[in-house]
Amino acid sequence: MTGVPLLEVNGVSKRFGGLSALDGVNLSLETGKLHAIIGPNGAGKTTFFNVITGTLSVSGGRIKFLGDDITDKAVHQISHHGLARTLQIKSVFGSMTVRENLWIAAQSREGVFSVFKNWKKCTRAAEKADAICDQLGLTSLANQTAANLSYGDVALLEIGLALATDPKLLLLDEPICGMGPAETEQTVAKIQEISKHTDIIIIEHDIEVVFKIADQITVMANGSVLAQGKPEEIAENAEVRTAYLGDEDDD
Amino acid sequence: MTTTTIHRVGTLLLILFTLSAPWVLPIFVDSFWVDIYSEILIWSLLAASVNLLFGYVGLLSFGQALFFGLGMYGVAVGIAKFDLSFWPAFMFGVALATGMAVIAGALAVRLTWHYFAIITVVFSLIFYFTALSWKQITGGDDGLPFSVPPIVSIGDFELVITNPFTQYFFIVLMVGACYALMSRVINSPLGRAFVTVRENDTRAALIGLNVYLIRLSAFVLAGFIAGVAGALFAFFGRYASASYMFYHVSGEAVVWAIIGGVGTLFGPILGTGLLIVLREELSSVWDHYLLLVGVAVIVTVIFAPRGVGGVFVALVQKYAKPSSSDKEGSQ
Amino acid sequence: MDLVIALGLNGIVWGLIIALIALGLSIIFGLLDIINIAHGDFFMVGTVLAWAVLETTGNYWLAFFLVPIIGFGMGALIEYAVIQPIKNAAALSIVATFGLSIILQESVRATYGAAPNRIAAPIEETFLLFGIQYEYYRIFAALVAIFAICVFFAFLHKTKLGTWMRAVRFDPETATAMGIPARRIYMVTFAIGFAMAALGGVVAAPITTVDFQAGIDILPFCFMAVIIGGLGNLEGTVAAAVLLAFVEGIITSFADPTFARIGSLCLMSAVLMFRPHGIFAGATR
Repeated sequence: MTGVPLLEVNGVSKRFGGLSALDGVNLSLETGKLHAIIGPNGAGKTTFFNVITGTLSVSGGRIKFLGDDITDKAVHQISHHGLARTLQIKSVFGSMTVRENLWIAAQSREGVFSVFKNWKKCTRAAEKADAICDQLGLTSLANQTAANLSYGDVALLEIGLALATDPKLLLLDEPICGMGPAETEQTVAKIQEISKHTDIIIIEHDIEVVFKIADQITVMANGSVLAQGKPEEIAENAEVRTAYLGDEDDD
Repeated sequence: MTTTTIHRVGTLLLILFTLSAPWVLPIFVDSFWVDIYSEILIWSLLAASVNLLFGYVGLLSFGQALFFGLGMYGVAVGIAKFDLSFWPAFMFGVALATGMAVIAGALAVRLTWHYFAIITVVFSLIFYFTALSWKQITGGDDGLPFSVPPIVSIGDFELVITNPFTQYFFIVLMVGACYALMSRVINSPLGRAFVTVRENDTRAALIGLNVYLIRLSAFVLAGFIAGVAGALFAFFGRYASASYMFYHVSGEAVVWAIIGGVGTLFGPILGTGLLIVLREELSSVWDHYLLLVGVAVIVTVIFAPRGVGGVFVALVQKYAKPSSSDKEGSQ
Repeated sequence: MDLVIALGLNGIVWGLIIALIALGLSIIFGLLDIINIAHGDFFMVGTVLAWAVLETTGNYWLAFFLVPIIGFGMGALIEYAVIQPIKNAAALSIVATFGLSIILQESVRATYGAAPNRIAAPIEETFLLFGIQYEYYRIFAALVAIFAICVFFAFLHKTKLGTWMRAVRFDPETATAMGIPARRIYMVTFAIGFAMAALGGVVAAPITTVDFQAGIDILPFCFMAVIIGGLGNLEGTVAAAVLLAFVEGIITSFADPTFARIGSLCLMSAVLMFRPHGIFAGATR
C-alpha cells in the first residue's frame, strides 16, 4: 500500500539523565497492517509507545502520524489525532462502571465541555459504549464497577477504552500479559477482528502469538531498531536470533 | 423505595423546609434561628466550592477564602467607594472573584496533591496581607461597614435587603441558583469528566481529555460560587473585613465540606449546618466547644472520611432498591 | 542606620529560630508526606511550656532541656494517635492536622487563658551595638539555634537512627525490605519535628509574646522557608529561613513589613510553579 505512512519515526531518542532509553529510532510503518514490536526487556518498547503518545517528551527526533507532526503535542491532542493506547499495567477508572468507563472515552470525541445537557442524554456516546461492550463480550458486566473486575476483564476494558475513541491507530502494550490460555485465545481473536478495520501496533512477548497475527515485525534492542520485516524474515535473521529469540525467557 | 426516590424526597424536603422556614422555625425556636439559617446557607456555598473541587475533581483547595473575600470586597468597596447600586455591586464582586479564579487557577491547577493545596493557601495569604495593608480601600483590620442600596427600585416599589423577608428570600434564591448550577454541571458531561480526571488523570489524558482545562473549569466554577457566597455575606452583614480572607476561614470551609460529606451535592449544607448549629448551641454553654470540633474533624478523617452525607448515601445504597438509572454514588 | 543594623540582626536571629522550626516541618513533610498545619502550634506549645516551667520552677534554663523532651513525647503520642491512623486517607492529612491545630490552640486557651504573657529573658543585660542597646539574649538565642541545628545535622548524618531516617525518606520500600523499622522511624521523625519546634518556642519566648495564637504567624513563614529552600533540601531550608527573615528585618526599618511578607509569598509561588526543588538546587525528593 502506498501513500502517507501510518507512522514515521525519525531519529527519535529519549534520555533520562545519563541513561539512553531510546537511541536514534528510525521507523516507517504502513497502514493496513498489523505491526508487532518485540524485543528483550529494557529494549525501550514501552518508552517508545510513551514517546509516541506524548506521555514522555523526546530528547531528539521527530514523529509523524499520517503525515502530521505530533512530536511536541500534548497527550490529549495526540489522542484526538486518532492514536489510542492500552497500558502495560492495566489502568482504568476503578470507581466507575464498565459502561461509564466506555461512555466517557466515547464522549471525549463529542466534547466534554458542555454543561447544559444531562450526561445520560448523550446517546451517541452511550450507543458507542454499548457497541463496544458487545464487541468485546463485556455486555454482562456493563454495570459492574471496574475495580471489581477480574484481571482478564480489566484488560478487555482497557482495550475497550482505546476503541471507544475511534482510533486510526491502536497501540496495544502487552494486552495478553498475565492471561491464561483460554483468555489469551479469545483476546487474540478479538484483536484480529479489530485489526480488520483499525491499524494496530502491538508490543508482545509471546512469540507464538506474534508470529500468528503480525504482518510486520519490528525488533528492538538497546533503544533502537535491530531489524524489521515479515515474520519469516525475522525468524531467519541471525542477529535477532542471538539477541533475542536464542535466549528467550518466557515471563 | 429506590435510591433515586429517596434522594428526590430528601431534596424536596430540604427545599420545602427552606422556603417555609421564616414562618415555621419561629414556632419551635427563637426567630433569630432564621437568620442563622441564612448564614448557614451562605457559608454552605463556601463549603460547596471546596466540595466541588475536592469531591469531584480531587483537588483540595485550602484557599477558597480568597474568592469569598473578593466577592465580599467587591460588593463593599463597590458600594462604599464607587457608589455602585445593588446589582452592579453584586456583579462586580462576583466578577472579581471569578476573574481571580481564572488567573489563580491557570497557575495553581498545573500543580497537584500537596503542592496545589499549598499554593492555594499562598495565593489567599498574598491577598489577605494586601487587603490588610491597603487600608484606604479595604479598611484593613478594622473592616469596612456600609449600607446597602435597594435591590429593586421601580417607581414607588422598593425591595430592600434590610427587610428580613426580602433578605431571606434573596439569599435563598441566590444560594438555590448556585446549587442548581452545580447540580447541572455535575450531571453534565463536564461533571463526568471531573470525576474521570480525579479517578485517573493519566488515563483521562490518554482518552483525549484535556486534564488541565477540565481542572481549570472546576476551579473557576468553584471560585465563582465562593465569590457569590462572599457577596451575599457582604449584603447580609453590611460589613467587610480582611479577616475573612485568612486561611482559617478556608480551613473551616474544608472542615464543613468534609464533615458534611464530599462528593455529595448537599453535603456542604449538612456540614455547615451541623457545625454552625453546634457553635451556636455549645458556645453559650461551654466556652471551649472548639475542642469538640477539632476532635470531630480528626475522628471524621480517620473513621468516616466520606462524612455524614457519605454515610447517608452509603446507607441508602445499601438498604434501598437500586433504581433503573443506577449510577455511582453522587447525587 | 543603626536601626537597620539592629533590625537586620533581629532578622538573622529570628531566621535561625525559624530555621530550627522549619527543619522540623521539612522532615515531617519529607518523610511522612504530611502538610502539618499544626506545626506553628507546636512552636506555640513550646513557648507555653517554657512559660509554665518558668512559673513552676523559677528557672528558665531548665526549660531548654525539659521542653524539647516533653515536645518529643507529645509528638510521639500525636503520631501514634492521629497520624498513623490517617495514613490511608493521605489527602485528608492536611484536614486532620488542621483539626489538631484547633485542638492545640483551644487547649492552651482553655488552660492558660487568652491573654498574652511576657517572659523576662534569663539574660537581661544589653550591650552597645552601633548606638543601640542590643540584648545579649538575642545573641544567645541565635547561638542556641545554631547549636541545635548543627546537632540535628550531626544526628542525621552520623547516627544510625539518622541514617535510617534518610534511608526511609529516600526509598521507603527498600528500607523496609532491608529491615529498617519504618513505622518507628515515622514516629521518631514526627516527635523530633515537634521537639525542634518546641525548642524554637523556648528560645523565642523571651523575645516574643506567649499566647495561644503565636503559631498562626509562624506557620506561613516556616512553609516559605521549606518551599523556597527546596523540599528535601534541609540546608536550603536553613539558608532560606535566615535570608527571608533578614530581608524582612531590613525592610521593616523603612516600610510596612507586610510588603516583605507579600514579596516572600510571591517568591514562594514562583518557586512552586517553576522550581519546585527550591532556589538552591539541591537534593530532590
